[in-house]
Amino acid sequence: MSRRPPQRLLPALALVCACAPAAHAGLGGDAASILSDTIDMQGVATAAHFPAYEVQEIVTGGGLRVREYVSGGRVFAVAWAGPVMPDMKAVLGASFAAYAQHLASLDHPGLHRSIRIATADLVLESAGHMRAYYGRAYLPALAPAALSVAELR
Amino acid sequence: MLSIHCRARLCRQAVLLTATLLLSACIGGSGKPAPAAASAPPVLNTAAVIVDSGPAAASGAINHAYVTVRVCVSGSQGQCANIDHVLLDTGSSGLRLVGSVLTAAAVTLSSETDSQGRTIEECVSFAGGQTWGPVALADISIAGETAAKLPVQIMDDAGAGAPAPASCGANGTLVNGVTGFDANGVMGVGVMAQDCGSACVAAATPLPVYYGCTSGGVCGAENSALSAQVTNPVAAFAADNNGIIVDLPNLTNDNGDATVQGQVIFGIGTQADNIMPATAITVLGANASGDFSATYNGSSSALPALIDSGTDSYSFNDSTLALCTGAWVGYYCPTVAPQSVYAVNTGATGVSVPSVSNMVNFAIANPNTFVPTAAAYIDLAAGGGSTNFTWGMPFFYGRKVYIGIEERAAGSYTGPFYAY
Repeated sequence: MSRRPPQRLLPALALVCACAPAAHAGLGGDAASILSDTIDMQGVATAAHFPAYEVQEIVTGGGLRVREYVSGGRVFAVAWAGPVMPDMKAVLGASFAAYAQHLASLDHPGLHRSIRIATADLVLESAGHMRAYYGRAYLPALAPAALSVAELR
Repeated sequence: MLSIHCRARLCRQAVLLTATLLLSACIGGSGKPAPAAASAPPVLNTAAVIVDSGPAAASGAINHAYVTVRVCVSGSQGQCANIDHVLLDTGSSGLRLVGSVLTAAAVTLSSETDSQGRTIEECVSFAGGQTWGPVALADISIAGETAAKLPVQIMDDAGAGAPAPASCGANGTLVNGVTGFDANGVMGVGVMAQDCGSACVAAATPLPVYYGCTSGGVCGAENSALSAQVTNPVAAFAADNNGIIVDLPNLTNDNGDATVQGQVIFGIGTQADNIMPATAITVLGANASGDFSATYNGSSSALPALIDSGTDSYSFNDSTLALCTGAWVGYYCPTVAPQSVYAVNTGATGVSVPSVSNMVNFAIANPNTFVPTAAAYIDLAAGGGSTNFTWGMPFFYGRKVYIGIEERAAGSYTGPFYAY
C-alpha cells in the first residue's frame, strides 16, 4: 500500500519568482504552470528527475498529494492520492471538459466510485471513497515512448 | 477531544458518565447499568432490504439495495417520516438524505452551527461527482434500532442553503437529487464510524470536506470533531452497534430479476440471529482507509479493494474484455459470455484481524442479454480503473456479508473488517 516517493526530491519553492501565471495549468500545461498549481492548492512542491521525465510533487497541508509528470516542457501526466479528491478542474486543465462529458454520459445513476476513460487523447482512472481517493490521467500524445503507466501513481 | 470507543456493554456505562456531552458515538444509555447480554431483552434487529427499480421519482435503478429509515426531528416525537428507497451503502459511512424528499415529508431538520454561528455544510466526493449540503441532527430508527441526535447530511438539491463553494463540484458533477442517486438518500453503513475521521479533526489546512457558511453564503473549510461528523448510524445505535450483516438471496434468473428481497441484520454476535460462524468464513481486516487488497486474474498488482453495496457492479480494469456501447456503456460486454474470472482477496496487514487470503471465482455476463426492465442483475461488471478493485452488488447475491465497524469487538475480531 505504501507509495514510495520519487528519489532525490528537491525543494522547489525557493525558485519561485513573480512570473505571470501560466495560461494553461494542470495536465497538458507547460512546466511553468506547476507553480500556479502549487499556489492554488496551497501546497508545497518538490521535484525529482528521472531519465524520461521529471516529477513535480505537490503535497497539501491536508495530506493530498498531486504529482505532475513533465517531459518536453509539458505536463503529460498527473496522479493523485489522498483523503480528498483534488480540484479536478485544476489538475486536468484543458482535459477537464472531456472528463465532465464522460461523467455526463454515464447512463446508470448511482455512486460511481471508479471511473475509467480510455480514448486516443486521454486516459484517466479515478477511484476511491471517503478517506482514500486515488487516480491518474495522461495524454498519450505527450507521453514519453517508453512510459510504463504503472509508474504514474 | 472526547473520544469514546463503544465496546458492547461498556458503551452504556460510558454513556452514563458522559450523558450530556456525548452526541454521536454511542447514544441511548438506559440509565441503568448494562445487564448481562443473556438477559438483555432482544431488540428487533432485522430490516427488510429490497432491490427494485427505485423511488417513484427515479425509476430504472439497477442493483440498488434499499431500506426504509424512520427520520425524526431530533427531540421531537411527532415530526417524523418513513423515508423509503434509501440506498444501503457499505462503501461509505453516514446517513445522507435528499433535501427535497425531507421537505415533501414535512420533516424540517435544523442545520448545525459551528462555534462562530456559521452553518456547517459538507462536501462529499465520489469518483463520479460530489454532493453538498448542511449537517443536521436527527433521531433515526430502523427495525427496533435507534440512534438519537445523529449527525446526518442533507443533500441540498433545492438550493435551500449556501451554494456549494468552487472547491465542491470541481470534480465534475454536483449530485444532490433523487435522480442522481436513484435513491431518496444514502445510508452509509461501512466499516468506519464517521465519514471523514481523524483527517478532518485537526488538519493544519482543513480538508475541503466540512465547511462553515455565513448567512451570506460564504463558506470556508474547517475542521470537525469526530462527534460532530456525519456518523454511521449503526455505530450510533443504542444496541447492536458493532456492525451489520447484509443477507441477500441468490437471483432466480441469470438475465435479471424484477425485485429481490433480503434483509440487513444489525449487530454481529450480539443476538442469536447474528452470530458469526467460527469456520467456513473469510474475515478480511481493513486498513485505516477501509480497504483490504485484491489481485485480479493472477495479476501481480495487489489493488485496494472493498465490498461495496453502493456500487452496482463488479468494477475493475481488464483490457482484454470488450466494453459495451449503447445502453450499457461503461460496463463490460464480453464476446464470450459468461466469462469466468477470479480475484484473490487478502486482508490488510498490521491490523487486529490476522491477514488471510481467499480466492473468489466469478463470472461476467453480457448485459445485452439482460431483461431490460429487471432491476437486479448477477454477473454485471464495469470497466473501472486499474488502481482499485470493487466487489459491488453482484457479490452480495447469495451471500451473507459481514461489515465490522472500526474499534468495535465482534466475536473474536475487532473492526474494521469485512467477512463472507
